[in-house]
Amino acid sequence: MSPGPLLPLLLSLKVAAGATAIILPPGVALGWLLARRAVRGRSVLETLTALPLILPSTAIGYLLLRLLSRDGLLGERTLGFDPGLLLTWKAAAAASAIMALPLVARTARLAFERVDPRLEALARTLGLGPWSAFFGVTLPLARPGLLAAAILGFGRALGEFGATVIVAGNIPGRTQTLALAIFSDMQIGHDREAMVLVGITTALAFAAIWCVEALLRPGRRSSR
Amino acid sequence: MTRLQLDLTVPLDRYTLAVRWETQATFLGIFGPSGAGKTTILEAIAGLRRGASGMIRVADRLCLDSAAGVSLPPEERGIGYVPQEGLLFPHRDLLGNVLAGQRRAEDSGRRLDPEKVLRVLELGGLEHRTVETLSGGERQRVALARALCSGPRILLLDEPLAGLDLPLRRRILPFLLRVREEFALPTILVSHDPTEVRILSDEILVLAEGRSVACGPPERIFSDPRVFPMARDEGFENALRGQVTDEQDGMTRVALSSECHVHLRGEGLAPDRTVLVGVRAEDLILAIAPPHGLSAQNVLPGVIREVAEPPGTAGVDSGVPVMVELAGSGQVVLASITPRSRRELGLRPGLEVHVVFKAQACRVLAAL
Repeated sequence: MSPGPLLPLLLSLKVAAGATAIILPPGVALGWLLARRAVRGRSVLETLTALPLILPSTAIGYLLLRLLSRDGLLGERTLGFDPGLLLTWKAAAAASAIMALPLVARTARLAFERVDPRLEALARTLGLGPWSAFFGVTLPLARPGLLAAAILGFGRALGEFGATVIVAGNIPGRTQTLALAIFSDMQIGHDREAMVLVGITTALAFAAIWCVEALLRPGRRSSR
Repeated sequence: MTRLQLDLTVPLDRYTLAVRWETQATFLGIFGPSGAGKTTILEAIAGLRRGASGMIRVADRLCLDSAAGVSLPPEERGIGYVPQEGLLFPHRDLLGNVLAGQRRAEDSGRRLDPEKVLRVLELGGLEHRTVETLSGGERQRVALARALCSGPRILLLDEPLAGLDLPLRRRILPFLLRVREEFALPTILVSHDPTEVRILSDEILVLAEGRSVACGPPERIFSDPRVFPMARDEGFENALRGQVTDEQDGMTRVALSSECHVHLRGEGLAPDRTVLVGVRAEDLILAIAPPHGLSAQNVLPGVIREVAEPPGTAGVDSGVPVMVELAGSGQVVLASITPRSRRELGLRPGLEVHVVFKAQACRVLAAL
């Protein structure tokens, strides 16, 4: 018996929100680093960041599973306590976060690249320290692009399937997100229910991409 | 007091900039053609140039001393930098821009009243306009106001008039002069326009290909035979300061002193306004006897103060500078004279001459 569309929808939103919260800070930092710093090993970093775009999501899921299992680097034996992530929505959020990293980091990088670095330099000459100049000038100017990065990350997390099913399973009401519910409905021949879920995900995806396009439109205020 | 002490080396793509300059003047100018390294010097002083080495001391503050491992970050140098493009913050309104450096102004005790700055720059009433609705001239003034209100020890102006058309330049120039008079803040102005540097500076460094060519006060520097050809190529104009007396037959009369007047095409200026009249060195004729029967409206008596030696390759260049002090006002002008005329007329320092030029050769550079 399918639980109806509401529960998977709420769960999907929760997982996607969690994933966005997890990946946004490192994704934005990574985007900034790639946009503004000539770091050593930059191309390696760029490649690693893009990797989840190409890798099968099951591969990421499997790696994460190994990491979180009893004997893994983040497992009970190493940590000394059971983080209790596997088969919960938190594991789904972590898996989705990793899958969302390339989109978030790339969009954040674009957002920072659109801000003229000389504006931050000028702010420094006015007596602002590096942090004040960043938070007072660069960050507000990059905000539309960073918001787009967050929405894209959220959207990507909504659609995550392969890695989620491996680390969180497909437990109705607990870890069964929209993507997983569609798969289940399809397998047991609930075509109508599956179509409803497909409709909901399409609407969400449409809204997300619409917002992103509006935020990234070239006519929007930018400093170049 | 030493205002500025520079001993700077910056490797650039085409050459290495190497400049030494120590001066006590308050209003400093750097003149040179584009690509001479002028902006690089300002950026190095502001602390925005990686790779700059040597020594920079602004007033009593040591900003850079590579030998001692000192390099202050930009925010500790006390600089008010006005870059050529203005670089206003697009996410803040006019007032938000002007007050961006207010914190330092208050902490340093060098705060200027923002209201007064806005009034002097005629930006009052525009406080809440967004940057994109401002005109080019307004943006330049906002950038200037922002620097002034940040409590700087020294103002760095990079080509403040470049990219503005003539009517706008005429409008902005008086603001720069007014800032100079009202706030008396030490300033380094960089420009490829010799007229602008001359009007606004007490001491000028001439730069070419990253090297200092000459350095000196504005009245003397452009008559230097190494500097004059550069200045002339960049459109050097003599700037004569005077008061508008009246306007007749479509001609404006400007008094340089009680007995010395310049006539130019009518500009519709009110009497008593102080103006700067510009006239090119190539447009001046020197007469060793009082001329008669000329259509030229301006015949001003004066005395030659300096005649430059023609450059080594005689006859190749079109003119050498001859400096004439005008009778009455004491203002000096440079005339560009061919070596042959110089020889035939026997031009030499101390000789009494008349400076002749057409009314049409003059224009008002700025009405103050």
